[in-house]
Amino acid sequence: MKNCRNIENNLPLYLDDLLPVADKKAIEEHLKSCAPCSKKLAQLSKTRMLVSNLGDVEPPAWFKQKTMARVRQEAEKESVIQKWFYPLRIKIPVQIFATVFIAVLAVYIYRSGEQPMKEVASTSVPAPVTEVQTGPPPEQKLKPAMGEITQKGKTAEEETIHNNEMPRNSVRESAVYKTEDSAEGLSPDIKKDKDQAAPAAKSVDQPEVKLEKQRAIESGAAGTVMKDNSILRAQSPAIRQNILLRVDDVSKASDDVETLITKYKAKKISGQKMSGKITLTVEMKNQMLKEFVESLKKVGQTGVAITSSVYPEENILLTIEIVKN
Amino acid sequence: MSNPTEALKKTVEDEDLKYVILCQNGDTEAFEILVERHQKRMLNIAYRMLGDYHEACDVAQDAFVAAFKSIRKFKAESKFSTWLYRIIVNYSKNRLKELQVINKREGLSMDASGEIELKGVLDQSLIHENNPGIDMEMREREAHVQKCIMLLDDEFREVLVLRDIQGFSYEEISDMLNIADGTVKSRLSRARNALKDCLSKVIGDL
Repeated sequence: MKNCRNIENNLPLYLDDLLPVADKKAIEEHLKSCAPCSKKLAQLSKTRMLVSNLGDVEPPAWFKQKTMARVRQEAEKESVIQKWFYPLRIKIPVQIFATVFIAVLAVYIYRSGEQPMKEVASTSVPAPVTEVQTGPPPEQKLKPAMGEITQKGKTAEEETIHNNEMPRNSVRESAVYKTEDSAEGLSPDIKKDKDQAAPAAKSVDQPEVKLEKQRAIESGAAGTVMKDNSILRAQSPAIRQNILLRVDDVSKASDDVETLITKYKAKKISGQKMSGKITLTVEMKNQMLKEFVESLKKVGQTGVAITSSVYPEENILLTIEIVKN
Repeated sequence: MSNPTEALKKTVEDEDLKYVILCQNGDTEAFEILVERHQKRMLNIAYRMLGDYHEACDVAQDAFVAAFKSIRKFKAESKFSTWLYRIIVNYSKNRLKELQVINKREGLSMDASGEIELKGVLDQSLIHENNPGIDMEMREREAHVQKCIMLLDDEFREVLVLRDIQGFSYEEISDMLNIADGTVKSRLSRARNALKDCLSKVIGDL
């Protein structure tokens, strides 16, 4: 039996003629005398025949096309990947581009976020101003008004902000005088004002004065161009005003306004003449503003939305636009 | 002296090499010739391994795409066809495992559902367009043989398919399956005996 099992294990290889000569001879000898093993050999031979006779299947007609379509798709994908990420020399520009893009985006987001914050800051300060303005003599009412604010429960920090603003404004004021001085000739009144303001300017560092001066000029000019004065307000709250004056004769009205400017001791900062429109920027004391506007009404139709500063002695930067009716 | 000559002989014998090099240099269309040449054999290996024509078509396609993707890794140490058939054998084995898991999940054991399987194989056999003249008895016998092949373990089935159906040499099979020559022989021996026993039971007296 044991011999038969060994023979059976070797029979498949015997069929393939893969056995060493000695083993082959031993099997042949065994088969002569063993009917079951001979039968198994016959069965093996038949099995092999059946297996080798198994028919081949044909690939479907679409097989090659479909396979190649997938292969082409794969090749395309590979080339795209190669183009962008491989080899290294092509990869670097992609990284640079990405970095620059992120940097630009960051700056843009930062800038767009800054604007609303400024507007919030500017609107919070002039809120109590209207109340002050409605009262009769502004100069006298300042200190009680301040007291009132404090009583109303304003925080100490807010007060500090107001107080800090005072000297800053005076510096700016004097700076504006200087601008005027260098730009054109001054009337004796103005010169007197200037002399009064001079010591204040001297007490401050020179570079800062120059800087403020520059800012005043810029904002004055900008006011003539920009219809939306929210930006101006954002830079220095409640001290800039716009007046639209509709007249029949622009140049005559301009002369009238010039006279009024002199009359109310205002200082002309700039004057711009465009087609059918004259824009004047003047600086005047806050308490003069109301009377000045009343006088302007005699010259032509005015469209004003006046708000006044908390500090009546503070100067107002007024932009008058004289347009033809 | 003999080694370079043998290597040269090998290179000269591999007619696919020219197209393989073209593919490696980025010529996608050269791969079409390789598909054309090997599609039938690839499909038949998969079909005999899986016992399902449609599954075999899918797996053969996947194997071709996989071969294309890694064609740059082919170093011509063996014939391209050997390398390609190794891929289809592995893909077929993996797919078979997946199908076994699916069948188990659906409650159909490959061994327990012999009748269903045989019917499936028979139907598959009937759709062969290339065997229109084959009579019913032949087709039935073929289905029985395929069923018995399917009942073999993976390691026996692959050597039997590659040697007795596809007629590859022992050396090629050893190369394809990455196993020793002696292992191929012993596995084949056991596979044939197992198949003989199975067919004796299914068909009766052989």
